[in-house]
Amino acid sequence: MLKSLETVRGSTRRVIGNKEGQVNNMSLSTIIIILCVIGLITAVIALLQRDLLASVIGFAVFGLVQTALFYLLDAPDVAIAEASIGAALTVCIFVIAIRMTRRREE
Amino acid sequence: MKLASFLSIVLMTGFLLVAVMRLHPVGQATGDPDVFSDRGNVIIDVQNVATMDDYFLRNGQMETGSNNIVTSVVFDYRAFDTLGEAAVLFIVVTSITMLLYGLIKPGETPDDVIIAADGFPLKISRIVTIGALLLFPVIAAFGAYIIIHGHLSPGGGFQGGAILGTGTALLLASSYMTKKLYKTYKTFAFFESFGLTLFIGLGFAGVGGSFLYNFLANGDPLLFGRVIEMGPNGGFLNSGGILPLLSLAVGIEVFSGISIILIMLNKALYLNKSQKSEG
Repeated sequence: MLKSLETVRGSTRRVIGNKEGQVNNMSLSTIIIILCVIGLITAVIALLQRDLLASVIGFAVFGLVQTALFYLLDAPDVAIAEASIGAALTVCIFVIAIRMTRRREE
Repeated sequence: MKLASFLSIVLMTGFLLVAVMRLHPVGQATGDPDVFSDRGNVIIDVQNVATMDDYFLRNGQMETGSNNIVTSVVFDYRAFDTLGEAAVLFIVVTSITMLLYGLIKPGETPDDVIIAADGFPLKISRIVTIGALLLFPVIAAFGAYIIIHGHLSPGGGFQGGAILGTGTALLLASSYMTKKLYKTYKTFAFFESFGLTLFIGLGFAGVGGSFLYNFLANGDPLLFGRVIEMGPNGGFLNSGGILPLLSLAVGIEVFSGISIILIMLNKALYLNKSQKSEG
């Protein structure tokens, strides 16, 4: 039955007790670490940027990176929610709020 | 104060790291790794169950008829929790409407010309409007797919409703929806209440078992009751009992709620800009 699971989920996903799967696991963790570093950088940009529009765009990129992370960690449900809410709707509402107030932080 | 916030951050990070260390292996039950072995025709198997997520992984598919275990948890085992989330969104939309209700009046047709911050009228570029017109059907189809296939593939009511909500944002930003805003608002307000009422009504329909009992699962194939096989399979639309219906109800509610929020904020933005240009 594990064999059928393997064919359904595709060769890029790991299966416990499979040598090939463990190699894929290594490259997967490398991708995850790279994405975490990118996410950290965008989060710091979003926090420290004085231009609020640039800060919001940094936040959107952070949401996108998080979406990829959730997908790689086998949580596609959360990934869809994060992509639509974190990277699209929140940014839209923030941009409306910036247009109603000021663009630069004092 | 700074020390306290620093200490709380360190403490929180420590807790999160400990939680990450104690996680399960991804996609695997705790006991026997082969979830689907030697079950025969037993629908509910409690032989090898050690923890709660073990139970969901082993029995969710057979018991609820939903291939997506996450949806079976969200809309069946924890459906009352989902009702609370939907109610929270409803309350948020209600309070935003209370704050900004006077902005949208019946019979008013605002211009589709946005006044820029320096007072000059700003015509929206044709690239933006035509791009939105081309993109909107794709977004709408994807959102509807996510809602309808909530019990088969990743997604569900909340995610699909949010995707449809981004479609509304696109239409508002490209000024397709600025005419007859009051009528649009009224329609969305009706469907917002309709979605939540449908959810609660489905909950009361199964009250012979319990509130939000999945009374349609593994029953009549015409009423979403198709019995599915254990293990990985393609899935059928008419399985899952009340899960697809609840997903549809939540999808309608979330889509309407987000659309109302965006319409209100958009209207407030226009009024703010025109007042600034007058003053």
